Amino acid sequence: MRKVYITGVGFITSIGNSAVAVSESLRELRHGIVQFPPFQKAEVPVKVAAPIRDFQTDTTDAEDWIFPARYNIRRETLRGMAPHGIYAYCAMQQAVEDAKLTEADWSNPHTGLYAASAGSPFLLGHHLERMRKMGVMRCAPLGVVAAISGTVNFNLVSQFKIKGASTGFSSACASSAHALGFAYDEIKLGRQKRMFVVGAEDGNVESILPFAGMRALSLQHDPSIASRPFDVARDGFVGTGGAAVLVLEGEEEVARRRAKVYGEVAGWGQASDGYNVAISHPDGAGLRMAIENALNYTDVTVESVDYVNAHATSTPIGDLSEARALKSIFQNSPTRPAISSTKALTGHGLSLAGAMEAGFCALAMKEGFMPGSAHISKIDPACEGLNIIRATLPHQPNVILSNSSGFGGANVCLVFKSV
Amino acid sequence: MAQSVTNPSGIPLKPFTPDDDANLREALKRCSAATYEAAAQFRKTGNTEHLPAIVLGIIERYVEPDLRPKLKEAEDDLRIIEDLGIDSLTMMEIVILVEDVLQMTINNEELRHLRTVGDVKTFIECKVRGLPLPKPTKFLPIEAIVSVMPIQPPFLFLGEASVNAHGANAKYKISGQEFFLQGHFKDNPVLPASIMLEALGQLAVLFLLEGQVGEAGKTVDHRTIFFTSCEGVRCHRVCRPGEVLNLSIKPKRLKSPLATFEGQIRVGQEKAAIAEEITLTFAFAEEVAEPAPQAQPAAAVASDPALAAVNA
Repeated sequence: MRKVYITGVGFITSIGNSAVAVSESLRELRHGIVQFPPFQKAEVPVKVAAPIRDFQTDTTDAEDWIFPARYNIRRETLRGMAPHGIYAYCAMQQAVEDAKLTEADWSNPHTGLYAASAGSPFLLGHHLERMRKMGVMRCAPLGVVAAISGTVNFNLVSQFKIKGASTGFSSACASSAHALGFAYDEIKLGRQKRMFVVGAEDGNVESILPFAGMRALSLQHDPSIASRPFDVARDGFVGTGGAAVLVLEGEEEVARRRAKVYGEVAGWGQASDGYNVAISHPDGAGLRMAIENALNYTDVTVESVDYVNAHATSTPIGDLSEARALKSIFQNSPTRPAISSTKALTGHGLSLAGAMEAGFCALAMKEGFMPGSAHISKIDPACEGLNIIRATLPHQPNVILSNSSGFGGANVCLVFKSV
Repeated sequence: MAQSVTNPSGIPLKPFTPDDDANLREALKRCSAATYEAAAQFRKTGNTEHLPAIVLGIIERYVEPDLRPKLKEAEDDLRIIEDLGIDSLTMMEIVILVEDVLQMTINNEELRHLRTVGDVKTFIECKVRGLPLPKPTKFLPIEAIVSVMPIQPPFLFLGEASVNAHGANAKYKISGQEFFLQGHFKDNPVLPASIMLEALGQLAVLFLLEGQVGEAGKTVDHRTIFFTSCEGVRCHRVCRPGEVLNLSIKPKRLKSPLATFEGQIRVGQEKAAIAEEITLTFAFAEEVAEPAPQAQPAAAVASDPALAAVNA
């Protein structure tokens, strides 16, 4: 069977805007969470977020946006973008450079792009308001493509002249893990030789604060402990945005191009809770089944798993159900894999999370480390028996699982292998 | 509209409040200061002389910086899509800003035919003044020219052409294969001045056939067009094979049976020839009784002795 490899990564994240910076933050457990200025109002009880540095995208006019000078983006490219569109564009630039691809390599019928974002509630709100105030004929011509879910694939596919398979995935916080899984399938099935996988989110007031309504956000004021998955005192997630891009290529392309390889995507599995629209199954039944499916598909034994990059977002209910799922999988395993949630550092990137964490796993495999689970001062007793690592380990994981769970009880488990 | 006042130019003026001014500044914040000044003046006075500056200023804001110098040349036949790289969505952005700034509404249908900067300027001016809209610039590739012209190769000296209400433009590349270059001159091919004048005459013929001449519904019969006279013809430069002639004519007087044009030819930015007046005769289709079987073809323009004398 054809093998699938990760050959390039790109990051615009709260813990760094390059693979080098991200890798350093992961190893040194440097978080990207701050008291977010737009939240510092009496009527907003949520105070912290994990914003993107070196970009300014807080106006509705893309021409006002500020971004690092190394990215040269023309007005006609910018005008159809949401804030996360520009993050994704920049991460995509990094990824194609990292994979040493030329336009001829990626702009052909054998190269596709799967992406995930929740759209831009920020721009959607702005454009709808304009429509109500000024009339339908004064709607910005590109307001729709900049704002709706799918904006990130519309933009990247046209800007990078992608000719192969393209679509968007919409399973909330499992979206970009789904995108990666199905991108893997495209290559495995021989339909595509190369796939870009993109996860992105605005990470601003409009994309984060609505979660306050379901009491999912941390109300901590102290950025250094606000996101603490598996800690007994965790009180909700910290919102973030940004973009992550991975380049997946089949083994023939890797051999032909003599491409540098981060690691292998060994396969994936998914399953659904069939339980509640927004609350994860108390025993993590769907996630457990997703992990089992992934292990069965890839022929990976429970004992051979070295590291699990958990979905754990730092919400009381979500982390508990994941802990239960992990326990049920690994309870009889003598090897006990290292487990951590990198969301302690990054915050929760929603649709971005799956691709971002897959990117972290790629760095961990290539550079030989397992990032610790930061900010735990007292571990939740419900996690007893799990090997949750609080410090980064300087060992290369051979087999990694990366979990993602989204609304509606969608669960994805990705499996990576070091080469 | 009850409290609107009317200025001498007949355009109803709405009051221009400080709020309106603030909105105008915001809307035009990426345009030149001159664009805002012109727009504010227009909104206060209704003076349509400001319109070209406003429209050009708004178009300029949407043109990529590397293409903006083209706009500085302010040629009315600059094409919006081909020369300025503006696509239909950017055109919509321009329209929305123009609507906002000039307080008017433009329909999609009206936009479809706007091809040049000149079309846009004329269109906006007509809209603002409430005048009927002129026919927009029509572009004719060589195939279209051949199909409408009574003059045919090898005696046709027009390549691609554009025609609108104000005149016509065309290009002609001297290929070097023109039959008369063998003898004009010996071992020294130079386009005859009579041919330059002929080319301008042919462009005037195209204008009569494709432009808006006379009352609505009337069309010029191509069999009725002949050369009558020319005045003030001066050649400034020798034209040789490989060079591209930029021909332009503008009507000075159009009243059946005579049409008088001024014309000029440039090569690049250099003036090659001018004709202060070229006059043709013509008649409308319904004025022609029966097709005369022995009718002289319009190509006779060039064989007219008066024209032949030009090169003497």
